[in-house]
Amino acid sequence: MNVLHKPKKFKIVGQGIPVIDAREKVTGSLEYGVDFVLPRMVHGKIKRSTVPHARIKRIDVTRALALPGVLGVVTHEDAPGLNWMGVWDNYRGQILDGISRFVGDEVAAVAATSVEIADAALDLIDVEYEPLPAVLDVEKALLDDAPQVREEGNVRDEYRVVWGDLDEGETQADYVIDQEMRYKAQNYAGIGRNACICTWDGDQVSMWTSSQTPSELQTGIHQAFGIPMSNVRVVALPSGCSFGLWWSNNFMMVTALLARKVRKPVKIELTSQECMAAVKRRHIEITRGRMGVAKDGTLTMADFSHLMDNGAYGFKTDVYFFCCDLWGGARNGDYRVRGVNTNLVTSGCMRAVGDITMGLAVERLADKCAHKVNMDPLEFRIKNQIKSGQQLRMQEPRQHMKGNLTDYIDGLTEEQTGNWPKMFHLSSGSTHELLLKGAEKFRWHERWKGWGVPTRVNGSKRRGVGVGTGAHCCGVEFGGNTSSVVRLNHDGSVNVFSAAGRQGQGSETTLVQVAAEEMGVPVEKVSIVTGDTYVVPWASGSSASTTMFRTGWATREACRDAKTQLLKIAAREFFDGIDHEKLDIEDGIIRVADDPADNRRIAIDELMNVLCSDSLSQTSVITGRPNGVMPPTIAFARQWAAQFAEVEVDVGTGEIRITDYLAGQDSGTVMNPKVLKNQVIGGAICGAGFVLYEGMEFDPSDGRVLNDSLLDYKLLRTGDFPSDPEVFFVESQDPVGPFGARGAGESPAAAAGPAICQAVHNAIGVWVDVPMTPETVMRAIKENEGPKAMAS
Amino acid sequence: MTRLNVNGQSFDVDVKAHEILSDVLRNQLGLIGVKVSCAEGECGSCTILVDGVPATACLMLGRQGERHEITTIEGIGTHDELHPIQEAFVEEQGFQCGFCTPGFIMMAKAFLDENPNPTEEEASMAMSGNICRCGAHPYIVKSVLNAAERMQGRHESKRTTGSTGASA
Ligand code: FES
Ligand code: FES
Repeated sequence: MNVLHKPKKFKIVGQGIPVIDAREKVTGSLEYGVDFVLPRMVHGKIKRSTVPHARIKRIDVTRALALPGVLGVVTHEDAPGLNWMGVWDNYRGQILDGISRFVGDEVAAVAATSVEIADAALDLIDVEYEPLPAVLDVEKALLDDAPQVREEGNVRDEYRVVWGDLDEGETQADYVIDQEMRYKAQNYAGIGRNACICTWDGDQVSMWTSSQTPSELQTGIHQAFGIPMSNVRVVALPSGCSFGLWWSNNFMMVTALLARKVRKPVKIELTSQECMAAVKRRHIEITRGRMGVAKDGTLTMADFSHLMDNGAYGFKTDVYFFCCDLWGGARNGDYRVRGVNTNLVTSGCMRAVGDITMGLAVERLADKCAHKVNMDPLEFRIKNQIKSGQQLRMQEPRQHMKGNLTDYIDGLTEEQTGNWPKMFHLSSGSTHELLLKGAEKFRWHERWKGWGVPTRVNGSKRRGVGVGTGAHCCGVEFGGNTSSVVRLNHDGSVNVFSAAGRQGQGSETTLVQVAAEEMGVPVEKVSIVTGDTYVVPWASGSSASTTMFRTGWATREACRDAKTQLLKIAAREFFDGIDHEKLDIEDGIIRVADDPADNRRIAIDELMNVLCSDSLSQTSVITGRPNGVMPPTIAFARQWAAQFAEVEVDVGTGEIRITDYLAGQDSGTVMNPKVLKNQVIGGAICGAGFVLYEGMEFDPSDGRVLNDSLLDYKLLRTGDFPSDPEVFFVESQDPVGPFGARGAGESPAAAAGPAICQAVHNAIGVWVDVPMTPETVMRAIKENEGPKAMAS
Repeated sequence: MTRLNVNGQSFDVDVKAHEILSDVLRNQLGLIGVKVSCAEGECGSCTILVDGVPATACLMLGRQGERHEITTIEGIGTHDELHPIQEAFVEEQGFQCGFCTPGFIMMAKAFLDENPNPTEEEASMAMSGNICRCGAHPYIVKSVLNAAERMQGRHESKRTTGSTGASA
């Protein structure tokens, strides 16, 4: 039964080669933003607001400027109207605008000859605030008379996904169950911090910083300062773990503003506290839902309404939830999402945005439905989740898209859509195969004893098993197109130029594998530049699990283009004018494909040095780029995860221990199993942290982040997660993705919570709110015992 | 001048009284493998060895480094000549972003010097003082066990090639 679409013989795709920067990482020589320095560099520090909402009445920098070593100060007076909209909705605002919208918001910045002097000067800036009423609660921010955080108002347009008719779904249901789930904000808690180094020479701006999205940052600087994009160079350095944190951030714009002021290279290095309290975080979210189920286990309706806070500068209308597609088998559905602003630190896309939160609510409610009709959670998923080829539920465009996706696609000619997969239908994969294969590996049917029934009881310790599923996109096109350029050199080596981020996901390695496979050269012959906008073509960067699917597609297409050019030359100069399509390259040698009798061979480097008959010189330029555009990926591609957990809950202390873990992933063809395994388990650990420990605490009086250090914000450590989890892959090949590959990094984070929560429920018979800290577990047990005790 | 013995070499450095050791090592000696994240002793990414004992460089004053043998990741192995622990981390991919990695490797060095033949549980416990936010946890533990084998000359490099059904 495991006969999956078996890839044709790949040479490099599927190899677990070490990531290309492995040696730099283990020797500590890899340069991140914080490590980067320039000659003559000076240091910047940011003055941050101490109040949640205020207009700056007066700001006096005289005393700061008088401090020896201070080179310049910038305030909103230096930045009138400097506005960068961000290509996405994670930050929308001016660089500095004289209004502080959360405790920690940027108010001014100082450049000085040392960090210490810059720091000392911050205290010498006198700010007089005119306090404005603040709103620190996501539900209160919705009210008509709530203080408004932004000019545009607090409340964004509702984003809605609808199919069928809820009333009908309710009639078809034998049971309707409702539920509300509330989520604290998860902190990125990025190990690695960040720094930004910027120079402003004449009309040239150069910036070095850890970023997932070099091109977007280039656009941002261009927009904010009105300088031509050709004069803006962004070098995106590798980042520590990012999860969406280091994308384009306002502190980078503040650095540019300071560099413009002092005309020297300026470095602003953020402290860990700044990273954890003043940059970005996951949204605070609330999901209310109702699901209807028929006695035979058919979901008849899914009715969800979701609220999320954007903090001060986020501007999202929805959370990019693909759980509505995952549970697309529900006959009728209505998912509504609303974003509101609050006077809290900005929030934005964090790994598996939407699917880790709303997805958990949908999974839990579906579990309750399964329980009600007494169906195995695995069977229930197989019955109600989407299958390959079926219609996707999420089809409509977002607020920031021009027009409507359906209209756009309807308007395309057949020539344009020729070999596209069927739009608005799932192109490949599903949870089905994952669940079947996983059940076998995990011995699910043996270990699952029924809803709320522990697998094993040992004193106060109860074990339970759970299964959860997760979905996410494989990149979206709203942030801009994707691209890649390749260059073939005289020695047969290949350079790949792609805008992408290096946050540890290993995509520079997997992109090299794509290029080497397509070009028919060994991996060692390919090198890649991902961060420097002076050489890479503009692309939307690494977010929304884009890189393998979209940038990988572009890289393969660019290689195809270069290869065609090369083979045409080979056909003409060496193979007596044979049709170039008959030629192929293997291990850097060009030969006639599928004809073992023909023993003509020429190596790429040899051919590149042949004096050609047309030019009488060697071929000097072979540059490949994608021909044509990639179809809109939101209209067909998804990634799937199914995970199985066993937990042990101590009903005496409320402590939860994960004792066994199995993670299945369908991201299409596996480019590099080591990289993918790490992504899958890293995702599971991120999701596990979210449901077990993590949550930001805000001061109720002014919204400041109270747990802004790793001392007070608990993360999973080794020993908190099994050291020997098993990972397996289902490789349902995608028709568009490079060699059949799709996105991977986010669905694993979405599947973990549901699996662990369900396992806890099965161990102790109670659903526990997240994060399931020992106190919460104990409270849930008590509350459950209360009425029962009374009843008996 | 403060004399610091780092990675087997002596340096005379001008260290101000308030200067933190990690800053001195990074900024004055260019040892950027001393990665600083939390700067408060919590994450372990700045771990160095002081006379063979692991210490968080972000919590030490530069002058406290005097009269001790300091080892940083740069003193463990080089790009061309990796230490077996580093080789093990490469092979098991005991990292993602790599920011926490030097700290984990330094911790592993001290641990394996004490306990050359650890069980999985011991290795996992020993690594739990450091934080990896990328979630490479199981592969970090595997790296430590792999390193133990290498250091005892018992290791055969395994190759991960097939693309299906890989188990962690
Ligand atoms: S940086 Fe020293 S322990 Fe975190
Ligand atoms: S590898 Fe990124 S924090 Fe550990």
